Amino acid sequence: MNVTQILFWFLSVLALFGALMVVTSKNPVHSVLWLIATFFSISGHYILLNAQFLAIVNIIVYAGAIMVLFLFVIMLMNLNKTTEPKKNRWLKLAGGVAGGCLLLVFIAALKSSEITQQTAEVKTGDIGLIKNLGRELFSTYVVPFEISSILFLSAMVGAVVIGKKE
Amino acid sequence: MQNALQIAWLIPLFPLLGFLINGLGRKHLSKSAIGVIGSGVILASFVMSIWVFLQVKDGNTHVADYFNFISVGDLSIPFAFQLDQLSSLFLLIITGVGFLIHVYSASYMHEEKTEHFGRYFSYLNLFVFSMLLLVMGGNYVIMFIGWEGVGLCSYLLIGYWFKKAEYNKAANKAFIMNRIGDLAFLIAIFWIIKKVGNVNYHDVFQFAGENKFSTADITGITLLLFVGATGKSAQIPLYTWLPDAMAGPTPVSALIHAATMVTAGIYMIARSNVLYSLSHTTMNIVAIVGLATALLAATIALKQNDIKKVLAYSTVSQLGFMFLALGTGAYVAAVFHVMTHAFFKALLFLGSGSVIHAMGGEQDIRNMGGLSKKLSVTYFTFLVGCIAIAGIPPFSGFFSKDAILLSAFEKSPVLYGIALFTALLTAFYMFRLLFITFSGKFRGTHEQEHHLHESPAAMTIPLIILAVLSIIGGFVGIPEALMHGGDKLSAFLSPVIKPHEGTPVSHSTEYGLMALSTVLVIAMIIAAWFKFRNYQRSEAAGFGKVLENKWYVDELYDKIIVNPLNKFGGFLNSFIEKFVIDGVVNGVGRIVNYSSRQLRLLQSGQVGSYIFLMVLSMLVVFVLQFFLRK
Amino acid sequence: MNALILSAVLGVIMMFSGVMLKQKSAVRNIAITGLFLLLVVNILEMSGMSFFRINTAGMMHFDRFSLLFNCIVFFSTFVYLLLSARDIEKTGNYYAEYFTLIFFILCGVILVSSFQSLLILFLGIEIISIPLYILTGSDKKNLKSNEASLKYFLLGAFSTGLMLMGIALIYGSVGSFSTAQINMTEKPGALMIAGMILLLFSMSFKVSAAPFHFWTPDVYDGAPTVFTSFMATIVKVAAFIAFIRLFGEAFGNLQPQWQIWIALITAATLFIGNITAVFQQSVKRMLAYSSIAQAGFMLLSLYAMNADAKEGLLLYSAAYSLATIGIFAVLIKMNDYTFDGFNGLAKYQPLLAATTTIFLLSLAGIPLTAGFISKFYMLKAAVATGRHLWLVIFAVLMAAVSVYYYFRVIQAMYFKEGQPGIITTSPVFKYTLVVLAALIIILGIFPNLLLNWYYF
Repeated sequence: MNVTQILFWFLSVLALFGALMVVTSKNPVHSVLWLIATFFSISGHYILLNAQFLAIVNIIVYAGAIMVLFLFVIMLMNLNKTTEPKKNRWLKLAGGVAGGCLLLVFIAALKSSEITQQTAEVKTGDIGLIKNLGRELFSTYVVPFEISSILFLSAMVGAVVIGKKE
Repeated sequence: MQNALQIAWLIPLFPLLGFLINGLGRKHLSKSAIGVIGSGVILASFVMSIWVFLQVKDGNTHVADYFNFISVGDLSIPFAFQLDQLSSLFLLIITGVGFLIHVYSASYMHEEKTEHFGRYFSYLNLFVFSMLLLVMGGNYVIMFIGWEGVGLCSYLLIGYWFKKAEYNKAANKAFIMNRIGDLAFLIAIFWIIKKVGNVNYHDVFQFAGENKFSTADITGITLLLFVGATGKSAQIPLYTWLPDAMAGPTPVSALIHAATMVTAGIYMIARSNVLYSLSHTTMNIVAIVGLATALLAATIALKQNDIKKVLAYSTVSQLGFMFLALGTGAYVAAVFHVMTHAFFKALLFLGSGSVIHAMGGEQDIRNMGGLSKKLSVTYFTFLVGCIAIAGIPPFSGFFSKDAILLSAFEKSPVLYGIALFTALLTAFYMFRLLFITFSGKFRGTHEQEHHLHESPAAMTIPLIILAVLSIIGGFVGIPEALMHGGDKLSAFLSPVIKPHEGTPVSHSTEYGLMALSTVLVIAMIIAAWFKFRNYQRSEAAGFGKVLENKWYVDELYDKIIVNPLNKFGGFLNSFIEKFVIDGVVNGVGRIVNYSSRQLRLLQSGQVGSYIFLMVLSMLVVFVLQFFLRK
Repeated sequence: MNALILSAVLGVIMMFSGVMLKQKSAVRNIAITGLFLLLVVNILEMSGMSFFRINTAGMMHFDRFSLLFNCIVFFSTFVYLLLSARDIEKTGNYYAEYFTLIFFILCGVILVSSFQSLLILFLGIEIISIPLYILTGSDKKNLKSNEASLKYFLLGAFSTGLMLMGIALIYGSVGSFSTAQINMTEKPGALMIAGMILLLFSMSFKVSAAPFHFWTPDVYDGAPTVFTSFMATIVKVAAFIAFIRLFGEAFGNLQPQWQIWIALITAATLFIGNITAVFQQSVKRMLAYSSIAQAGFMLLSLYAMNADAKEGLLLYSAAYSLATIGIFAVLIKMNDYTFDGFNGLAKYQPLLAATTTIFLLSLAGIPLTAGFISKFYMLKAAVATGRHLWLVIFAVLMAAVSVYYYFRVIQAMYFKEGQPGIITTSPVFKYTLVVLAALIIILGIFPNLLLNWYYF
């Protein structure tokens, strides 16, 4: 087990643990913080895959901008432990068990699958570099790239419609 | 002038248009408009039919395929019309007599409400349309469509005054009895399809001409067709509906139940003469059934007191004569009799309509008498009709009946004897009817006597025209013995119907037979005159009572068929329906309702439970897909 | 491609028209004209006149199937706007934006009907979904509308997650987003199968097939009725086209793997949709369940996946959308959405009642209506597979059950006494309804009028 593999496992465990904490934390602010931790570990994965640009974008956009927004909203609305609605304990338990089972089944099913590649691709390939990414994005994937503008536009219009006062 | 045959599809189209206009516009059109449209379309068809007839007379026949009507697997049934000698003759009868009856109806039905008046005419036009389809069809399926169509119209018109339960019963009876025959007809069609693979007349007759049918097949098919014919043409055992059908308006009885629809069976057998000639068994059965019906109906007619019932039984009897002719191979004679019968029986029915009209709806001849003075036109035309049906030369009935008697004689003297006896009965009961109705003293109420009046011109003119036709209609078929080349009808029909093969009778024998029947008929008329000129009401007794009650055939049918069926139906209704069917149906409904209520609970409204259920089902699918499925 | 670009542009135009134009009717008319143009350029493209030549790198393909389907969608939307544009305006203040969102949704529909790459599919699905969350919640003062929007969003996000995960697994296995590439995989491994099943789940969610249908009744019931109409018809059939394209083109060779699951999902959907609809008291909610039930029938085409199935799905899309749009258009005009609200409608509004009856008959699949012939195609296609005949029998039984709840409305309109309240309708509304009813009957008698377009 070399360093990259150790890093891979560490980041994976951190990401999963962070994600679990997001769901289980009672305090919304804690949830957001755990989410940031998760994003960071995912960015770490990107770096392991030699996709530095994505890693940075992920941190800037998600961990930086979006999470700050989340925090603002939570604080403005003054959400805390006590505002958390009471959930049916049995439902929670059942949900946990079902989700866990699903995870187990998934692992069992995919365990035998044919992935034999390495867990990390440090210094191999340069597809994740900003130059190549940009070239791909504006040649092969230009149509979906442009089309995604419709998606964002509709999301913006939607936000305005929902957010503006009647 | 080939055109007439090309546009022959107009002939049935006109009545169909009339049906649509009158049917849809019955609430908006005035009575006179309805009458003009209703009669006008038939007149148009009549004119076209004459045109077609002239073309056909010149030897042009035509089979027109319009489109593929049914196409299943190898079987393809075209929508085709066949215009030849036989169908053009029937076209003339249907549209010609039909037109006169339409004109008559416009006056006869004038007291109906406009809406019902329109309904009446639309039915009548629909009937003519179906009848035209029946005779013009180029294959058995198109004929069957027309066949069913006329059955339906007959049902609708018998039940025209639908508010009377009695009349509805009569309509049902007619319809159901006809259905029994129709079923046989349908099976025959299937049988033909199975054997020939096609229903076109041309192909079927060619198939038969090459002797490809086995004896069993040909006998089966012809017998089934004949059963179909007994339903429509009121022969034993399916004849009892016709007298009851008199519930309909009188012009309807004249058109449907005397002149046209009931002769559909004759048309069908005459059309299929190639098939029938191949089966002696069927021919004998047809002859015997026809003769038996003729005799039975004639005896019943002797004692009936309802003017229309007498005529109805007389129709049954005359139809029996036609079947006798068919059964003895004299197809031309049968068609000839259809034609003359159409004239004089329509005349008699319309005459009786005129009488009923004058009597304010009274139909019982015991309450009439001495009408000849007040209703002179009706009287004279009725007299002509009676002479024609009795068969006195040179009236039309003589020639056609003579042809039938002759062919019966050629077949067997016994048949001839019974047929002659029946003919004598015919003369007797017809003149009984005439004398009781028109001679002697008036026996009705004073009110009726005061009301008596001759019918309007719109009713009497058709009577006069029909009377003239009844007199001269027979001249198209003068027997060889009387005039060389006089039998124009046989010559005309010879391409469709093979000339009659039988042991020819010498001319002297033929003269003897004619003289014998004429003398005896006149004797019967004189006997009737003495017995009935001053009719007094009396109760029937002994055998007369049996006749008056129509040999109790209706009661018999009720006992052995109708009542058991009713009981069985009652059982199905009260037990099977209530407990088995209802139980199952309601049970299913209850289960659905119950599960609906339970399933509704799944929809809790909580996102958490929704996701939980989704995850659960995903889990199941994954487990099954990856671990249990091979 | 014509329609895609025009539709996006129209969306932008609508946005600005809300700012520039003060009159509501002007905005409405622009929207209706725009849709008409959309229909025209799409038909032009069908006849070979494409205005743009864009290299999509094999990610999209506008074939007859997708173009004809787009025609059906544009026509349905056109009819929908003719009938209900005024009611869209009544929902809230941002009427121009609602039209904008509708045009954007149409972009998504075009994408999902012609994708050749999972990327485009995902984009299309999202472009359809996000505006819908907004439209569902557009009645901001109504708590039910807000609740529905939130539920829809949460569950929709869940399904999006499933879809992304599925796509990721497939990409991991094949190394490509292209449907053709995916279909060429020999010996698909567990990764691929798992991805496919995840996609099956998320698409089932989009078409509201059981057991992923739970959002449907709540969202359809809570959303403003006029948008429910849009969601239940145009969006739903679009999801079906995506579904059938995905499983036909990307997983066609894996049919033995998924066919049984589709069969089971179909049966469950038919059962839950029809049986639950029986007990509903609100016509709107009944229609929500009915849309689930109809989805069950449309799933039969997926199950069969043959030529008949594709034809049948086109026909079904048209028949179902038109009839449902018609019913919703009438429902919007009602004051009371319960069955009792329809009591005596025939007496006061004979035309509305008569056309509604035709729509309901079509949904129930009574002969001589388009609904019958399209159901017939579905069953025919399913029978042609030669397997799982029980499914066909079950579908017919469930169709029989559906008659019950559809006829309850007819019964209320014609055989019950009541005062349905004053309903004012414009002449255009009435004429459109009559034309719609006539179309449904014409399609029922001559289905080839539509299907010939697929081949000529």
